[in-house]
Amino acid sequence: MSVEPEHCVTCSDEAVPARVVDVDGPNATVEAGGRRERVGIELVEPVEPGDTLLCHAGIALEKLA
Amino acid sequence: MRYVDEFRDGELAQKLSREIEALAEPGRVVKLMEVCGGHTHAIYKHGVEQLVPDEVDFVHGPGCPVCVIPMGRVDDAIALAERPEVIFTTFGDMMRVPGGRGSLLEAKARGADVRMVYSPLDALELARRNPDREVVFFAIGFETTAPATALTLLRARAEGVSNFSAFCNHVTIGPPLRAILDSPGLQLDAFIAPGHVSTVIGTRPYDFIVEEYGRPVVVTAFEPLDILQAVVMLLRQLRDGRCEVENQYTRVVRRDGNPRALAALEETMELRDTFEWRGLGWIEESALRLRPDFAEWDAEARFELPGGRVEDPKACQCGEVLIGAIKPWECKVFGTACTPERPIGTCMVSSEGACAAYYNYGRLTVPA
Repeated sequence: MSVEPEHCVTCSDEAVPARVVDVDGPNATVEAGGRRERVGIELVEPVEPGDTLLCHAGIALEKLA
Repeated sequence: MRYVDEFRDGELAQKLSREIEALAEPGRVVKLMEVCGGHTHAIYKHGVEQLVPDEVDFVHGPGCPVCVIPMGRVDDAIALAERPEVIFTTFGDMMRVPGGRGSLLEAKARGADVRMVYSPLDALELARRNPDREVVFFAIGFETTAPATALTLLRARAEGVSNFSAFCNHVTIGPPLRAILDSPGLQLDAFIAPGHVSTVIGTRPYDFIVEEYGRPVVVTAFEPLDILQAVVMLLRQLRDGRCEVENQYTRVVRRDGNPRALAALEETMELRDTFEWRGLGWIEESALRLRPDFAEWDAEARFELPGGRVEDPKACQCGEVLIGAIKPWECKVFGTACTPERPIGTCMVSSEGACAAYYNYGRLTVPA
Protein backbone atom coordinates (compact mmCIF):
# COMPACT_ATOMS: atom_id res chain seq x y z
CA MET A 1 0.00 0.00 0.00
CA SER A 2 1.33 3.35 -0.90
CA VAL A 3 0.21 6.95 -0.68
CA GLU A 4 2.67 7.82 -3.42
CA PRO A 5 1.58 5.73 -6.37
CA GLU A 6 4.94 5.81 -8.14
CA HIS A 7 6.34 3.58 -5.46
CA CYS A 8 6.80 -0.10 -5.63
CA VAL A 9 4.14 -2.10 -3.85
CA THR A 10 6.10 -5.29 -3.75
CA CYS A 11 8.53 -4.65 -0.99
CA SER A 12 6.73 -1.98 0.91
CA ASP A 13 9.32 0.75 1.02
CA GLU A 14 6.36 3.00 1.54
CA ALA A 15 4.34 0.67 3.73
CA VAL A 16 2.83 3.79 5.15
CA PRO A 17 1.35 3.63 8.60
CA ALA A 18 -2.43 3.71 8.21
CA ARG A 19 -5.07 4.60 10.78
CA VAL A 20 -8.00 2.23 11.29
CA VAL A 21 -11.35 3.86 10.56
CA ASP A 22 -13.65 0.85 10.71
CA VAL A 23 -13.42 -2.88 11.40
CA ASP A 24 -15.55 -5.40 9.50
CA GLY A 25 -14.81 -9.06 10.30
CA PRO A 26 -11.37 -10.04 8.94
CA ASN A 27 -11.04 -6.67 7.18
CA ALA A 28 -10.52 -3.09 8.24
CA THR A 29 -10.91 0.20 6.43
CA VAL A 30 -7.75 2.21 6.92
CA GLU A 31 -6.81 5.74 5.99
CA ALA A 32 -3.39 7.03 4.99
CA GLY A 33 -2.55 10.25 3.23
CA GLY A 34 -6.25 10.97 2.66
CA ARG A 35 -6.84 7.67 0.88
CA ARG A 36 -8.99 4.86 2.22
CA GLU A 37 -8.35 1.20 1.61
CA ARG A 38 -9.57 -2.16 2.85
CA VAL A 39 -6.96 -4.44 4.35
CA GLY A 40 -7.00 -7.97 5.79
CA ILE A 41 -6.27 -7.92 9.53
CA GLU A 42 -6.00 -11.62 10.46
CA LEU A 43 -2.30 -11.25 11.31
CA VAL A 44 -2.73 -8.39 13.78
CA GLU A 45 -6.15 -8.91 15.40
CA PRO A 46 -7.68 -7.59 17.61
CA VAL A 47 -7.87 -4.20 15.93
CA GLU A 48 -9.86 -1.16 16.95
CA PRO A 49 -10.65 2.12 15.21
CA GLY A 50 -7.83 4.56 15.95
CA ASP A 51 -5.09 1.90 15.89
CA THR A 52 -2.21 2.48 13.50
CA LEU A 53 -1.28 -0.44 11.26
CA LEU A 54 1.65 -1.08 8.96
CA CYS A 55 -0.04 -2.20 5.75
CA HIS A 56 1.41 -3.85 2.70
CA ALA A 57 -0.13 -5.53 -0.35
CA GLY A 58 -3.60 -5.35 1.09
CA ILE A 59 -2.93 -6.77 4.53
CA ALA A 60 -1.82 -5.41 7.88
CA LEU A 61 1.60 -6.74 8.87
CA GLU A 62 1.95 -5.19 12.29
CA LYS A 63 0.46 -2.74 14.76
CA LEU A 64 2.62 0.29 15.48
CA ALA A 65 3.65 0.64 19.08
CA MET B 1 1.54 12.73 9.14
CA ARG B 2 2.35 10.90 12.34
CA TYR B 3 5.16 8.31 12.05
CA VAL B 4 6.38 10.07 8.90
CA ASP B 5 6.99 13.78 9.46
CA GLU B 6 8.98 13.34 12.64
CA PHE B 7 11.38 11.06 10.76
CA ARG B 8 12.10 13.67 8.08
CA ASP B 9 13.09 16.57 10.36
CA GLY B 10 15.85 18.58 8.69
CA GLU B 11 17.54 19.82 11.86
CA LEU B 12 17.76 16.35 13.34
CA ALA B 13 19.17 15.11 10.04
CA GLN B 14 21.93 17.73 10.22
CA LYS B 15 22.66 16.71 13.81
CA LEU B 16 22.96 13.04 12.82
CA SER B 17 25.04 14.03 9.81
CA ARG B 18 27.52 15.82 12.11
CA GLU B 19 27.61 12.79 14.39
CA ILE B 20 28.44 10.55 11.41
CA GLU B 21 31.14 13.00 10.35
CA ALA B 22 32.67 12.75 13.83
CA LEU B 23 32.52 8.95 13.89
CA ALA B 24 34.04 8.48 10.43
CA GLU B 25 37.75 7.80 10.40
CA PRO B 26 39.36 10.14 7.87
CA GLY B 27 40.58 8.21 4.84
CA ARG B 28 39.07 4.88 5.90
CA VAL B 29 36.07 4.06 3.70
CA VAL B 30 33.38 1.99 5.41
CA LYS B 31 31.18 0.00 3.05
CA LEU B 32 27.63 -0.43 4.29
CA MET B 33 25.27 -2.63 2.29
CA GLU B 34 21.65 -1.58 2.41
CA VAL B 35 19.97 -4.87 1.61
CA CYS B 36 16.51 -3.63 0.78
CA GLY B 37 15.49 -1.78 -2.37
CA GLY B 38 13.31 0.41 -0.19
CA HIS B 39 16.42 1.73 1.51
CA THR B 40 18.14 2.29 -1.84
CA HIS B 41 15.12 4.25 -2.99
CA ALA B 42 15.00 6.32 0.21
CA ILE B 43 18.76 7.03 0.16
CA TYR B 44 18.51 8.51 -3.34
CA LYS B 45 15.13 10.15 -2.98
CA HIS B 46 16.06 12.02 0.19
CA GLY B 47 19.66 12.72 -0.74
CA VAL B 48 21.03 10.75 2.21
CA GLU B 49 24.29 10.16 0.31
CA GLN B 50 24.90 13.92 0.39
CA LEU B 51 24.54 13.93 4.18
CA VAL B 52 27.36 11.47 4.85
CA PRO B 53 31.10 11.95 4.32
CA ASP B 54 33.01 10.18 1.53
CA GLU B 55 34.19 7.66 4.12
CA VAL B 56 30.67 6.15 4.22
CA ASP B 57 29.89 4.21 1.04
CA PHE B 58 26.40 2.78 0.52
CA VAL B 59 26.49 -0.49 -1.42
CA HIS B 60 23.12 -1.45 -2.86
CA GLY B 61 22.05 -4.98 -2.12
CA PRO B 62 19.78 -7.61 -3.66
CA GLY B 63 16.56 -6.68 -1.90
CA CYS B 64 14.45 -5.49 -4.79
CA PRO B 65 12.06 -8.40 -5.38
CA VAL B 66 11.28 -7.36 -8.94
CA CYS B 67 14.96 -7.10 -9.80
CA VAL B 68 15.89 -10.63 -8.78
CA ILE B 69 13.20 -12.50 -10.76
CA PRO B 70 14.96 -14.48 -13.52
CA MET B 71 13.79 -13.95 -17.09
CA GLY B 72 12.61 -17.55 -17.46
CA ARG B 73 10.01 -17.03 -14.73
CA VAL B 74 8.75 -13.94 -16.55
CA ASP B 75 8.33 -16.09 -19.66
CA ASP B 76 6.38 -18.62 -17.58
CA ALA B 77 4.14 -15.78 -16.39
CA ILE B 78 3.56 -14.66 -19.98
CA ALA B 79 2.69 -18.22 -21.00
CA LEU B 80 0.09 -18.30 -18.22
CA ALA B 81 -1.26 -14.88 -19.19
CA GLU B 82 -1.67 -15.97 -22.82
CA ARG B 83 -4.02 -18.84 -21.95
CA PRO B 84 -7.49 -17.78 -23.09
CA GLU B 85 -9.21 -18.85 -19.88
CA VAL B 86 -6.78 -16.94 -17.63
CA ILE B 87 -7.04 -13.52 -16.07
CA PHE B 88 -3.43 -12.90 -15.04
CA THR B 89 -2.98 -10.52 -12.12
CA THR B 90 0.26 -8.86 -11.11
CA PHE B 91 1.75 -6.01 -9.12
CA GLY B 92 2.31 -3.05 -11.43
CA ASP B 93 6.09 -3.19 -11.20
CA MET B 94 6.22 -6.61 -12.86
CA MET B 95 4.35 -5.42 -15.96
CA ARG B 96 7.39 -3.98 -17.71
CA VAL B 97 10.01 -6.50 -16.59
CA PRO B 98 11.44 -8.05 -19.74
CA GLY B 99 11.63 -11.81 -20.06
CA GLY B 100 13.08 -13.66 -23.04
CA ARG B 101 9.79 -13.12 -24.90
CA GLY B 102 9.06 -9.53 -23.97
CA SER B 103 7.09 -8.24 -21.00
CA LEU B 104 3.63 -8.81 -19.56
CA LEU B 105 2.71 -5.34 -20.82
CA GLU B 106 3.55 -6.43 -24.36
CA ALA B 107 1.57 -9.64 -23.87
CA LYS B 108 -1.36 -7.49 -22.76
CA ALA B 109 -0.98 -5.36 -25.91
CA ARG B 110 -1.21 -8.59 -27.93
CA GLY B 111 -4.51 -9.41 -26.27
CA ALA B 112 -3.65 -11.32 -23.09
CA ASP B 113 -5.90 -10.47 -20.14
CA VAL B 114 -3.31 -9.03 -17.75
CA ARG B 115 -4.54 -6.89 -14.87
CA MET B 116 -2.67 -4.90 -12.26
CA VAL B 117 -3.61 -5.41 -8.62
CA TYR B 118 -2.36 -3.94 -5.36
CA SER B 119 -3.06 -7.07 -3.34
CA PRO B 120 -3.57 -10.79 -3.91
CA LEU B 121 -6.87 -10.28 -2.08
CA ASP B 122 -7.97 -8.17 -5.07
CA ALA B 123 -7.09 -11.10 -7.34
CA LEU B 124 -9.20 -13.40 -5.15
CA GLU B 125 -12.10 -10.95 -5.45
CA LEU B 126 -11.71 -11.02 -9.25
CA ALA B 127 -11.94 -14.82 -9.10
CA ARG B 128 -15.17 -14.62 -7.11
CA ARG B 129 -16.65 -12.21 -9.67
CA ASN B 130 -15.52 -14.23 -12.70
CA PRO B 131 -16.38 -17.83 -11.88
CA ASP B 132 -16.01 -18.89 -15.52
CA ARG B 133 -12.39 -17.68 -15.73
CA GLU B 134 -9.14 -18.81 -14.10
CA VAL B 135 -7.55 -16.03 -12.07
CA VAL B 136 -3.79 -16.45 -11.56
CA PHE B 137 -1.81 -14.19 -9.22
CA PHE B 138 1.89 -13.56 -9.93
CA ALA B 139 3.18 -13.95 -6.37
CA ILE B 140 6.54 -12.25 -5.99
CA GLY B 141 8.37 -10.62 -3.13
CA PHE B 142 10.28 -11.35 0.05
CA GLU B 143 8.83 -12.31 3.43
CA THR B 144 7.11 -8.91 3.53
CA THR B 145 4.78 -9.83 0.69
CA ALA B 146 4.53 -13.58 1.11
CA PRO B 147 2.09 -13.30 4.09
CA ALA B 148 -0.42 -11.49 1.85
CA THR B 149 -0.28 -14.45 -0.55
CA ALA B 150 -0.55 -16.89 2.37
CA LEU B 151 -3.59 -15.13 3.78
CA THR B 152 -5.23 -15.07 0.36
CA LEU B 153 -4.65 -18.82 -0.10
CA LEU B 154 -6.13 -19.52 3.32
CA ARG B 155 -9.19 -17.45 2.45
CA ALA B 156 -9.51 -19.13 -0.97
CA ARG B 157 -9.51 -22.54 0.72
CA ALA B 158 -11.90 -21.49 3.47
CA GLU B 159 -14.34 -20.05 0.95
CA GLY B 160 -13.88 -22.85 -1.60
CA VAL B 161 -12.83 -20.49 -4.40
CA SER B 162 -11.50 -22.99 -6.93
CA ASN B 163 -10.74 -20.71 -9.90
CA PHE B 164 -7.95 -18.82 -8.10
CA SER B 165 -4.31 -19.85 -8.09
CA ALA B 166 -0.93 -18.37 -7.25
CA PHE B 167 2.20 -18.58 -9.42
CA CYS B 168 4.58 -18.57 -6.49
CA ASN B 169 7.95 -16.84 -6.80
CA HIS B 170 8.37 -15.73 -3.21
CA VAL B 171 11.95 -15.56 -2.01
CA THR B 172 13.67 -15.39 1.35
CA ILE B 173 16.23 -12.82 2.43
CA GLY B 174 18.77 -14.90 4.37
CA PRO B 175 20.24 -17.14 1.62
CA PRO B 176 21.16 -14.35 -0.85
CA LEU B 177 22.90 -12.50 1.99
CA ARG B 178 24.94 -15.59 2.71
CA ALA B 179 25.70 -15.91 -1.02
CA ILE B 180 26.94 -12.32 -1.07
CA LEU B 181 29.02 -12.84 2.07
CA ASP B 182 30.54 -15.94 0.46
CA SER B 183 31.36 -14.22 -2.83
CA PRO B 184 35.11 -13.80 -3.34
CA GLY B 185 36.64 -10.36 -3.17
CA LEU B 186 33.63 -8.70 -1.64
CA GLN B 187 34.46 -6.01 0.88
CA LEU B 188 31.57 -5.13 3.12
CA ASP B 189 31.93 -3.80 6.64
CA ALA B 190 28.34 -3.91 7.86
CA PHE B 191 24.68 -4.30 6.92
CA ILE B 192 21.64 -2.06 7.02
CA ALA B 193 19.04 -4.84 7.25
CA PRO B 194 15.53 -4.51 5.85
CA GLY B 195 12.78 -3.11 8.05
CA HIS B 196 9.55 -4.52 6.72
CA VAL B 197 10.83 -8.01 5.99
CA SER B 198 11.89 -7.99 9.63
CA THR B 199 8.40 -7.12 10.88
CA VAL B 200 7.55 -10.62 9.62
CA ILE B 201 10.72 -12.65 10.32
CA GLY B 202 12.12 -10.69 13.27
CA THR B 203 15.80 -9.95 13.85
CA ARG B 204 16.93 -13.50 14.74
CA PRO B 205 17.51 -14.63 11.11
CA TYR B 206 20.39 -12.11 10.84
CA ASP B 207 22.32 -13.63 13.75
CA PHE B 208 24.48 -15.70 11.36
CA ILE B 209 25.87 -12.51 9.84
CA VAL B 210 27.39 -11.42 13.15
CA GLU B 211 28.19 -14.91 14.45
CA GLU B 212 29.66 -16.51 11.31
CA TYR B 213 30.84 -13.52 9.28
CA GLY B 214 31.63 -10.95 11.98
CA ARG B 215 29.70 -8.10 10.32
CA PRO B 216 27.49 -5.76 12.37
CA VAL B 217 23.81 -5.49 11.42
CA VAL B 218 21.21 -2.81 12.14
CA VAL B 219 17.58 -3.49 11.20
CA THR B 220 16.37 -0.16 9.91
CA ALA B 221 13.20 1.70 8.92
CA PHE B 222 12.80 3.73 5.74
CA GLU B 223 12.70 7.41 6.57
CA PRO B 224 15.86 9.47 6.07
CA LEU B 225 16.43 9.93 9.82
CA ASP B 226 16.09 6.18 10.33
CA ILE B 227 18.82 5.49 7.79
CA LEU B 228 21.13 8.16 9.23
CA GLN B 229 20.58 6.76 12.71
CA ALA B 230 21.43 3.26 11.45
CA VAL B 231 24.69 4.61 10.02
CA VAL B 232 25.50 6.11 13.45
CA MET B 233 24.71 2.79 15.15
CA LEU B 234 26.88 0.81 12.72
CA LEU B 235 29.81 3.23 12.96
CA ARG B 236 29.61 3.03 16.77
CA GLN B 237 29.68 -0.77 16.64
CA LEU B 238 32.73 -0.66 14.37
CA ARG B 239 34.44 1.95 16.57
CA ASP B 240 33.77 -0.02 19.74
CA GLY B 241 34.72 -3.36 18.18
CA ARG B 242 31.21 -4.70 18.83
CA CYS B 243 29.40 -7.01 16.40
CA GLU B 244 25.68 -7.28 17.10
CA VAL B 245 22.27 -7.37 15.48
CA GLU B 246 20.72 -4.10 16.62
CA ASN B 247 17.15 -2.98 15.99
CA GLN B 248 16.64 0.64 14.96
CA TYR B 249 13.02 0.00 13.88
CA THR B 250 11.62 -0.77 17.33
CA ARG B 251 8.29 0.85 16.50
CA VAL B 252 7.26 -2.29 14.58
CA VAL B 253 10.03 -4.90 14.54
CA ARG B 254 10.21 -7.51 17.29
CA ARG B 255 12.95 -10.05 17.93
CA ASP B 256 10.68 -12.94 16.87
CA GLY B 257 8.77 -11.11 14.14
CA ASN B 258 5.05 -11.65 13.70
CA PRO B 259 4.33 -15.26 14.76
CA ARG B 260 0.92 -15.28 13.08
CA ALA B 261 2.42 -14.21 9.76
CA LEU B 262 5.08 -16.90 10.10
CA ALA B 263 2.42 -19.50 10.92
CA ALA B 264 0.41 -18.52 7.82
CA LEU B 265 3.55 -18.92 5.70
CA GLU B 266 4.36 -22.26 7.33
CA GLU B 267 0.85 -23.56 6.66
CA THR B 268 0.76 -22.64 2.97
CA MET B 269 4.35 -22.71 1.70
CA GLU B 270 7.59 -24.69 1.94
CA LEU B 271 11.19 -24.12 0.87
CA ARG B 272 12.22 -25.04 -2.67
CA ASP B 273 15.46 -27.04 -2.96
CA THR B 274 16.91 -24.30 -5.13
CA PHE B 275 15.85 -21.19 -7.05
CA GLU B 276 17.47 -18.99 -9.67
CA TRP B 277 18.17 -15.34 -8.76
CA ARG B 278 18.91 -12.80 -11.39
CA GLY B 279 22.53 -11.79 -11.03
CA LEU B 280 23.24 -14.24 -8.21
CA GLY B 281 22.53 -17.56 -9.93
CA TRP B 282 21.03 -20.61 -8.23
CA ILE B 283 20.79 -20.41 -4.45
CA GLU B 284 19.77 -23.38 -2.31
CA GLU B 285 16.66 -23.12 -0.14
CA SER B 286 16.15 -19.49 -1.08
CA ALA B 287 12.56 -19.51 -2.32
CA LEU B 288 9.12 -20.77 -1.42
CA ARG B 289 6.59 -22.91 -3.24
CA LEU B 290 3.07 -23.89 -2.25
CA ARG B 291 2.70 -26.97 -0.09
CA PRO B 292 1.12 -30.06 -1.71
CA ASP B 293 -2.00 -29.39 0.44
CA PHE B 294 -2.47 -26.25 -1.63
CA ALA B 295 -1.90 -27.87 -5.06
CA GLU B 296 -5.45 -26.91 -6.02
CA TRP B 297 -4.43 -23.25 -5.78
CA ASP B 298 -0.92 -23.70 -7.19
CA ALA B 299 -0.57 -22.42 -10.77
CA GLU B 300 2.57 -24.54 -11.22
CA ALA B 301 0.59 -27.69 -10.41
CA ARG B 302 -2.50 -26.72 -12.38
CA PHE B 303 -1.00 -25.44 -15.63
CA GLU B 304 1.82 -26.61 -17.83
CA LEU B 305 4.63 -24.06 -17.87
CA PRO B 306 7.52 -23.76 -20.34
CA GLY B 307 9.98 -23.65 -17.41
CA GLY B 308 12.82 -22.44 -19.64
CA ARG B 309 16.01 -20.70 -18.59
CA VAL B 310 17.00 -17.46 -20.25
CA GLU B 311 20.47 -15.96 -20.11
CA ASP B 312 20.57 -12.31 -19.06
CA PRO B 313 21.32 -9.92 -21.94
CA LYS B 314 25.09 -9.64 -22.41
CA ALA B 315 25.17 -5.85 -22.15
CA CYS B 316 23.30 -5.96 -18.84
CA GLN B 317 25.36 -5.74 -15.65
CA CYS B 318 22.45 -6.06 -13.23
CA GLY B 319 24.21 -9.01 -11.61
CA GLU B 320 27.21 -6.93 -10.63
CA VAL B 321 25.00 -4.08 -9.47
CA LEU B 322 23.00 -6.53 -7.35
CA ILE B 323 26.01 -7.77 -5.41
CA GLY B 324 27.39 -4.27 -5.05
CA ALA B 325 30.43 -4.95 -7.27
CA ILE B 326 29.70 -1.89 -9.41
CA LYS B 327 27.60 1.26 -8.98
CA PRO B 328 24.63 1.74 -11.31
CA TRP B 329 26.33 4.46 -13.32
CA GLU B 330 29.32 2.22 -13.95
CA CYS B 331 27.19 -0.14 -16.07
CA LYS B 332 27.93 0.13 -19.80
CA VAL B 333 24.32 0.73 -20.78
CA PHE B 334 23.13 2.83 -17.82
CA GLY B 335 21.14 5.84 -18.93
CA THR B 336 21.86 5.22 -22.60
CA ALA B 337 20.51 1.94 -23.96
CA CYS B 338 18.91 1.15 -20.58
CA THR B 339 16.46 3.70 -19.14
CA PRO B 340 13.26 3.40 -17.06
CA GLU B 341 11.25 3.86 -20.29
CA ARG B 342 13.10 1.06 -22.11
CA PRO B 343 14.80 -1.07 -19.47
CA ILE B 344 17.22 -3.81 -20.46
CA GLY B 345 17.83 -5.04 -16.94
CA THR B 346 15.52 -5.40 -14.00
CA CYS B 347 17.40 -2.92 -11.79
CA MET B 348 16.10 -0.21 -14.10
CA VAL B 349 12.49 -1.43 -14.05
CA SER B 350 11.35 -1.23 -10.49
CA SER B 351 11.45 2.16 -8.79
CA GLU B 352 13.29 0.29 -6.02
CA GLY B 353 15.95 -1.00 -8.36
CA ALA B 354 19.30 0.63 -7.73
CA CYS B 355 19.59 1.83 -11.33
CA ALA B 356 16.11 3.36 -11.55
CA ALA B 357 16.49 4.99 -8.14
CA TYR B 358 19.81 6.46 -9.18
CA TYR B 359 18.47 7.47 -12.61
CA ASN B 360 15.50 9.29 -11.05
CA TYR B 361 17.07 10.91 -8.02
CA GLY B 362 20.75 10.34 -7.75
CA ARG B 363 22.46 12.21 -10.53
CA LEU B 364 23.57 15.09 -8.38
CA THR B 365 27.21 14.36 -7.93
CA VAL B 366 28.12 11.87 -10.64
CA PRO B 367 27.30 12.59 -14.28
CA ALA B 368 25.42 9.81 -16.09
